[in-house]
Amino acid sequence: MSRRIAIVEDEPAIRANYSDVLRKQGYEVAAYDNRPDALAAFRTRLPDLAIIDIGLGEDIDGGFALCRELRALSPTVPIIFLSARDSDFDIVAGLRLGADDYLTKDVSLPHLSARIAALFRRSDLSTAPKVSEETIQRGALTLDLKRLSAQWNGKRVELTLTEFWMVHALARYPGHVKDRESLMRDAKIVVDDSTITSHVKRIRKKFLAIDPAFDCIATVYGMGYRWSAEA
Amino acid sequence: MRLMKKPRIALGIRAQLLLVLTVFLAIPWLGYEYVRELERFLRDAQERTLAGTAQAVATALHDRPRLFETRSPQGSLGSERGGDEGVASAPAAPSAERAGSPEIEQIIHALSRTTARIWVVDREQNVLARAGSLKRADPISVDAGASDSRLARAWTWLEREAFQPLYARVLSQPSEDFSDDGTGRTTAAGRDVEGALAGILTIDRRPTADGKAVIVSAANPIWVDDEVKGAVIVEETTNAVLAERNRAFARLFTIVLAALLIGSVALTLYASWLSTRIRRLRDEAEAAIDAQGRVRGVVTGSEAGDEIGDLSRSFASALARLAQYASHQEAMASRLSHELRTPIAVVRSSLDNLALQDLPEETRVVMARAQEGLDRLAHIITRMTEAARLEASLADAEPERFDLVQVVAGCVQGYRAAFPQQRIELGLSSGAVAFDGAPELIAQMLDKLVANAVEFARPGTAIEVKLEPEVAAVRLTVSNTGPPLPAGMGERLFDSMVSMRDEHTAGAPHLGLGLYIVRLIAEHHGGRASAADRAGGEGVTVSVVLPLVRALR
Repeated sequence: MSRRIAIVEDEPAIRANYSDVLRKQGYEVAAYDNRPDALAAFRTRLPDLAIIDIGLGEDIDGGFALCRELRALSPTVPIIFLSARDSDFDIVAGLRLGADDYLTKDVSLPHLSARIAALFRRSDLSTAPKVSEETIQRGALTLDLKRLSAQWNGKRVELTLTEFWMVHALARYPGHVKDRESLMRDAKIVVDDSTITSHVKRIRKKFLAIDPAFDCIATVYGMGYRWSAEA
Repeated sequence: MRLMKKPRIALGIRAQLLLVLTVFLAIPWLGYEYVRELERFLRDAQERTLAGTAQAVATALHDRPRLFETRSPQGSLGSERGGDEGVASAPAAPSAERAGSPEIEQIIHALSRTTARIWVVDREQNVLARAGSLKRADPISVDAGASDSRLARAWTWLEREAFQPLYARVLSQPSEDFSDDGTGRTTAAGRDVEGALAGILTIDRRPTADGKAVIVSAANPIWVDDEVKGAVIVEETTNAVLAERNRAFARLFTIVLAALLIGSVALTLYASWLSTRIRRLRDEAEAAIDAQGRVRGVVTGSEAGDEIGDLSRSFASALARLAQYASHQEAMASRLSHELRTPIAVVRSSLDNLALQDLPEETRVVMARAQEGLDRLAHIITRMTEAARLEASLADAEPERFDLVQVVAGCVQGYRAAFPQQRIELGLSSGAVAFDGAPELIAQMLDKLVANAVEFARPGTAIEVKLEPEVAAVRLTVSNTGPPLPAGMGERLFDSMVSMRDEHTAGAPHLGLGLYIVRLIAEHHGGRASAADRAGGEGVTVSVVLPLVRALR
């Protein structure tokens, strides 16, 4: 059974391009250009994954509302925001509404499909029994590369895909400084330096929420970030 | 911005109003004219009085032929000589051998006044009798009611020292020190006497011999039957009139002076109030726009209902509109990039889509070129939004205490790795510097400063990064050897979208946002960024002064 992806995007050319590529990769694609149509369709049948633009024509924050409604219909369906907006405010708002990732439209199609594949893998494995062998253990940190999930002292840290890949890039070689460029490359996103900074800040906060003593991501001013091995 | 004042006559509102006030100086002149009119009136009155007196005396002497019997003129002359010594005593103690006419003397003595002199002459113009004096017994006192309060004394003093000499210049002063030529005469001649002897009441006016006073005289004929037997002449100086006129003028002058004084003080106060308001408005308007021409604050429109209040309100609204326009301009970059993102996404997804297909090699090459151009475009857009995004992230940056030296040293290490072709020297003149702020923002600022310096540095020269302590502040400077600053660009360099690069500079696109970001971060930390040509050598130094003590936002 092929997976069903819903694309909600008001720009016809982008909608058509994404639909074409995803169809070519064997997904079943349902494309909508407005919120009411999409919502009606979701009520009839939930997609396996949804890619939502925030601004939907006149409905400038329609994507946010749709995300909330879809999340109400299903707590598990993966949702990706794909928007031209790239301010911290929008990213934080989108992720808070329960989206699994937030991408700007700069993202290339191969990157997008890699993310889609990763999200499917993660949702598949989170329901499957734990037979994980691909893990990275760094002190209290456990990264499950199959499920794309992170644990700190055995507690799950809710990271988005972007954040997971950034933690992974840092923790793979503790002590090595990762500059912003390579973090971007590893996280498969194209953003500017200050967005990387705010991503790192958010990651720190998520770890600090679980362990107030968390101090593993060190800033190396002028160069980048480093996963410092615990004492 | 205040324009440079040209060296020309600049009159403030106060000076202008005072100049206008000089129009009121015409008032003393009008007063002078009025006083002269008064003087004429007083003269006429004096003449009429004298004429009346002369008529009255003549009436008493009419039809009394006995009084005009012929007598020896020698005797009369002699007695006149004897009467020379004093006018006041002459009538009181008439000499026994006095010729003349004792009866007439008696009659006119009763009629004489202190300041008038009465003569009676016969037809041959021989003096028959005389009474009174032209001179006053005591001089006219200037101010009879001299008060003893200090203010009044000061006023009197001022009047005496300052005003009296002034009046003396403008007006002729009555003098009691004139030569009275008529005292010793035995005959009376003159137009008035001749006129009276001809039977007509004649009034004459003549100066004294020394010209110090003017004598007004009225002569009336004395009739016996239908024949003129003699004449009565009444004389008086104009001193009383002059004194009256002068007193009136002094009073008027004092009042006008006081009014002018009060008026100018009031006008000066009013003008000061006006110019204070205007100056305050100017200062506010100047403070509202900073050296870079950005609208800083907004003028609070005055509540006053007059024109200045109106001006201040229109200033406020104009500045508000300007601020709106400026923020619109600044938001332009970020809005533009948003608008551009979607078409870029269309192109990118189309190219990606195409790439997934089986394509001939030539097409792939063309596509690679398109992809490259697209990447550059995306890069430009990312840069464009950087400043706008930074402004947003400044708003919620949480300040923390950190060691500035550590951050700068760390960054410089990073730059040495990032720019191996350039020598980067670090000058630290102190130990740890505790600073409250956002370390990642300071690092971002230093990134921009160094990137800017590297770009303009001549290859092989060193870039100096220095951190020097100042009074309650630190100065971070980045210097490079290279071309100097273009003239007049010093301040504007830190504005959005201002670049001093040549258009054809190869490499990454430049939007002139680097130093703008430096300024935003410096200002966020309460500091200030400036650029100057390097002292004693070619090159540029960009410095950022960051205060160590400041109120945290």
